Amino acid sequence: MPVAASLADGLREIVGADGVFTGPALAEYRLGPATPQAAVFPRDESEVSRLLRLAWEEGLGVVPWGSGGHQSLGYPPSRYDLALNLGRLDRVLEYEPADMTATAQAGIRLADLQRHLEAGRQFLPLDPPLASQATLGGILGGNLSGPLRCRYGTARDLVLGIRVAQADGTITKGGAKVVKNVTGYDITKLYLGSHGTLGVILEATFRVYPRPPAEQEWWLSTPELEAANALAVRILGSHLAPSRVEMLDDAAARACGSPVRGPGLFVSIAGVPEAIRAQANDLARMAGEFGGVATEDAAAPQTRTGLSDFPWLAPWRDGKGHGAIWRGSVLPADCARAIRAIHAAAREHTEVVVAASVAHGILRGEIRADTTEGVARGLAASREALAALGGFLIVLDAPEPVRAQVDVWGPPPDGLGLMQRLKAAFDARGILNPGRFVGQI
Amino acid sequence: MNGSDLAPETRTHLIRGCERIVGPEGVISAPDELRVYECDALTFYHRVMPDLVVLPTSTQHVADVVRLCREAGVPFLPRGAGTGLSGGATPDAGGVMIVLTRMNRILDIDVASRTATVEAGFINLWLTNAVKRHGLFYAPDPASQQACSIGGNVAENAGGPHCLKYGVTTNHVLGATVVLPDGEVLQLGGKIQDRPGYDLLGVFVGSEGTLGICTEVTVRLMPQPEAVKTLLAVFRTIEEASNAVSGIIARGIIPVAMEMLDREIIKAVEANVKAGYPLDAGAVLLIELDGPRAEIEAEAVGVEATCREYGCLELRVARTEEERALLWKGRKEAAGSVGRITHHYYLQDAVVPRSKLPTVLREIEEIGGRHGLIIANVFHAGDGNVHPLICFDLATPGDLDRAIAAGAEIMKRCIEAGGSVSGEHGIGHEKRDYLPLMYGPADLAAMQRVRAVFDPAGLCNPGKIFPADGPAGQGARNLQSPAMTAVSER
Repeated sequence: MPVAASLADGLREIVGADGVFTGPALAEYRLGPATPQAAVFPRDESEVSRLLRLAWEEGLGVVPWGSGGHQSLGYPPSRYDLALNLGRLDRVLEYEPADMTATAQAGIRLADLQRHLEAGRQFLPLDPPLASQATLGGILGGNLSGPLRCRYGTARDLVLGIRVAQADGTITKGGAKVVKNVTGYDITKLYLGSHGTLGVILEATFRVYPRPPAEQEWWLSTPELEAANALAVRILGSHLAPSRVEMLDDAAARACGSPVRGPGLFVSIAGVPEAIRAQANDLARMAGEFGGVATEDAAAPQTRTGLSDFPWLAPWRDGKGHGAIWRGSVLPADCARAIRAIHAAAREHTEVVVAASVAHGILRGEIRADTTEGVARGLAASREALAALGGFLIVLDAPEPVRAQVDVWGPPPDGLGLMQRLKAAFDARGILNPGRFVGQI
Repeated sequence: MNGSDLAPETRTHLIRGCERIVGPEGVISAPDELRVYECDALTFYHRVMPDLVVLPTSTQHVADVVRLCREAGVPFLPRGAGTGLSGGATPDAGGVMIVLTRMNRILDIDVASRTATVEAGFINLWLTNAVKRHGLFYAPDPASQQACSIGGNVAENAGGPHCLKYGVTTNHVLGATVVLPDGEVLQLGGKIQDRPGYDLLGVFVGSEGTLGICTEVTVRLMPQPEAVKTLLAVFRTIEEASNAVSGIIARGIIPVAMEMLDREIIKAVEANVKAGYPLDAGAVLLIELDGPRAEIEAEAVGVEATCREYGCLELRVARTEEERALLWKGRKEAAGSVGRITHHYYLQDAVVPRSKLPTVLREIEEIGGRHGLIIANVFHAGDGNVHPLICFDLATPGDLDRAIAAGAEIMKRCIEAGGSVSGEHGIGHEKRDYLPLMYGPADLAAMQRVRAVFDPAGLCNPGKIFPADGPAGQGARNLQSPAMTAVSER
């Protein structure tokens, strides 16, 4: 559908002629069957505010957009007129190393932010998938995390304050710029992981951490998954202070570069060299208790990136064959049981690869099959297997025909009624990422 | 006083109803017995008696009582151990107080997942005691941890000295069973993490009992560190000590705690418990490191070098558990020792960026001087969470007004420095008129929207957090009003 001339004019008036894309350039903003009327590139928060005001008055569906790397998540928007690209809001606004806090705009790429923090030998300890492209706003909107969560937590633990454009364009803030704050509701938490359905994140203030002086990684191969899980629980309950404890099935271990065959753990420890050495000895001893062998990882930086990106770089995502990627959760001690159950349930028609961040019981995996039906059956069986352990599964990305057969978010969460009322209170006209999140909020 | 205008027949109806729900032994309605509940740990604060107190023993009890209140259109509020410092557990104007102290059971300890689920009335310190044998502990450690309840900690998003490294309550709560203001029971979060949906748990923690009543809480437990090292550094001035705090952080060291005591507090502590602090010191800094042994040995070297760099006069390192306890003794007894230097004090809880500590502390001293008041400081320096104790004497005419005026000035300065009104005590009733210093009308309106979603009838702990004149509250015009007497008795 060609963009209405008057709308394009209205948008150009706000963001300038070079800030509005229409026509074929919109292909990259396609979400499922939907293509927006325009993509807009505001230069500052007042332009975001005016764009939203316009959308609010005209009832336009708005999808906040960072790098787009994780836009596959969720249902297609029920109404999609504007892709609101925040890529030009990409500045670090405040950085005080002595406070260990920084404030940056939502459109900054994580990689650029990290370069900035390098000046104070600090970093934001988030390592979500596709981190080289991911933007701060996208990471916070999706509450994305990676293996480093084991030591540093998630955006929930790191973000101290936030600035948000409400659906009607009003700009509000929540939280503070200090590390401790109980002043009014912790409304920041509502926006984190809300997938842009409650407001458009403009900037955030977060804790940063000192870059550890050294880091070392090991592959701990074990006879079977259960031993790997027990070893992980042992490590996590001990005095060791690992940065990452990832458990991988045979195929995931191979995909992430493990030098040994079979399932196992990837563990990294950061700190001063003396402390790493001491912990390495303890780690090897603990591995021995579970019949495991520790091998130092020779290709650490690539392995770390590979683990963060797993399974986002699955080849079917480039159009080769049929597949899906997913994320789920169970209890930390149930990770091996979950992986076994998924293998057993889904293997009949599909190939399955799974990794787990054991500290928080977070699983992620990939399914491949000859047909989209096979993929859908594999996902449904995996979801059932996790539900039987009290857990859940969400589909991160899958081709259209698979989505038609599987609900990407799964059964509605407890408290959906409250969530719907919150959505109505924050976005009464339903213009922000409408229809995309749980319960088609 | 009894601030309620509840009709006698409504009160009788509620008493009967509550007795039916929890049994007669769980309902308190005699005025002399209700007096215990007329304030929390802000004892000099405006006292308001609830119309009745109910002590449920199950989530279902709480839900039934809430539904009864809602049907009668009567306000209700939760209360744990009543150790709060912001008047949050004091009724605004009567109503039903739901006291959770009888709900104090452990429901689950999951060593492999490192979680525990307890009822809301469970005492903070009991938790660490209960999991010690598994090599685990619960990190948030508010000063009142021997008495305060986990449910209250959730309501206030409680902190404590050891939150510098480990974070505050919100970082350790994985799930909660809550009774919403309409009586619905809802499970927020849980042991299984990252369920999709809005983070209702995140906004519930720290909502000071205004979004519902939590009855069960699932918390994250931490493995005990391999080693702990405690150091006490003595400084000539509080400024040097503050600079050392920034210097330690700038080195990339995050101690588990960094607590500061100023000259006035040192005097008080030494008069009371003889912790061995030098009386001529301007400030002492208590620093604790924990983690893998080799890590903290290396960090201790950095801490010592930084302290000396900033002119530390003396450095003590605890070599035994007894010595560690002694170094902490003064800090732990600080609040209880203040009676040695003043009759009354007004305690604040603002937070400033750590790098602004030297400036802000100097300004606090100036403000005190200008009002002719002594202001003592004992606080979580590592977090920038200042706790100025404004000393005054109620018997001296005008002293209270001066203390309140000084408090307002301090608060303003902390906010101007980029800080926040409260770090761990909560807003409650006492600080609600300070909120507009930090948040504009639109910011407060967004919070009020959340409140209206959870509690459309406005019956759940009304009169707390938000300025008395609503979200459009015009700045600090109430700050000079002596109605705001946030005063603690020694």
